[in-house]
Amino acid sequence: MESADVRSDEPDDSAMNSAVSTLEAELLANDVQAVPTSLDAFLAQVERRAFRLAEMSLGHREDAMDAVQDAMLRLVRNYRDKPAQEWTPLFWGILRRRIVDLQRRRKVRSIVVGWLGGGRDDDGDELPAWEPADNGPGPLDRLQDAQSYEDMAAAVRKLPRRQQEAFMLRVLEGLDVAETAQAMGCSEGSVKTHLSRAMHNLRDQLEDWR
Amino acid sequence: MNAPDNLERRARALYREASRQIDPATAGKLRAARREALAAAAAPAHARFARMLVPAGAFAAIAVAALMVFSPRDSVPLPPAGAAQTLEADGDLPPDLSNTDPSLMQNLDFYDWLATNDASQASR
Repeated sequence: MESADVRSDEPDDSAMNSAVSTLEAELLANDVQAVPTSLDAFLAQVERRAFRLAEMSLGHREDAMDAVQDAMLRLVRNYRDKPAQEWTPLFWGILRRRIVDLQRRRKVRSIVVGWLGGGRDDDGDELPAWEPADNGPGPLDRLQDAQSYEDMAAAVRKLPRRQQEAFMLRVLEGLDVAETAQAMGCSEGSVKTHLSRAMHNLRDQLEDWR
Repeated sequence: MNAPDNLERRARALYREASRQIDPATAGKLRAARREALAAAAAPAHARFARMLVPAGAFAAIAVAALMVFSPRDSVPLPPAGAAQTLEADGDLPPDLSNTDPSLMQNLDFYDWLATNDASQASR
């Protein structure tokens, strides 16, 4: 039985590795892409990644959609006349602030529900903090590497907020240190510190990824 | 950043793959959100102008009202009373046409004859 389990794991690992190597090649191709000259092209390029990033932070698809929509609107309304090279840190900075706003709003809602007596069940046991219902199809329904992605998203969600932001912008989105600092509204030194701690925590949590 | 290690590479690859694999409904919503954002920025050129007109109009109305309330109606500088008398007393100056009754200006020859006649009768 054990050997069967081991055998069944092996093809998944090899498939994963091949998927990763294929994607790495694509990433290299993406990295040398020219900066989009129109806002439409820029938003089309980042919208899906922005949604995934917001979803990873918020753990909720509708909230993630709201955050991305609002970030797009604010970028277009307030910064459309800025040079195209500045759109990337501006957009991710706006999205980061929207995510923080939504997290705070959710926390307040959770506290209010607690005050109104919704925090305990009939037996007096504490109910979990209020979370909005999410009935939409999750990323796992379609993703081949579903479990790995779920593990990573769960591990990232456990990080303190600033570490989360540094990891998502610097590692996942691939912004450079200066752009990450601009998007996070902090110094480049702080970005490096947050990222270093995030990587340390993630290595502890995702030991089997080594 | 140093060369990305396995965790970084794998995390990034999964993130990119997950972004590509977004379900059609969500992708459609994202496209609609993008179009809406771009349209909202393109359309409101006149809307923004109209929004600016409201405070501008209010400011103009307040300014007009303030002018009417504090209008310097009585503060138009009048010529000093003495100066007018001085001018009237000065017979050598030509008559002020703007302040004279126009009917008097029509029979100047008659007035001249009358004045001469009066003077000659007085001398007799």
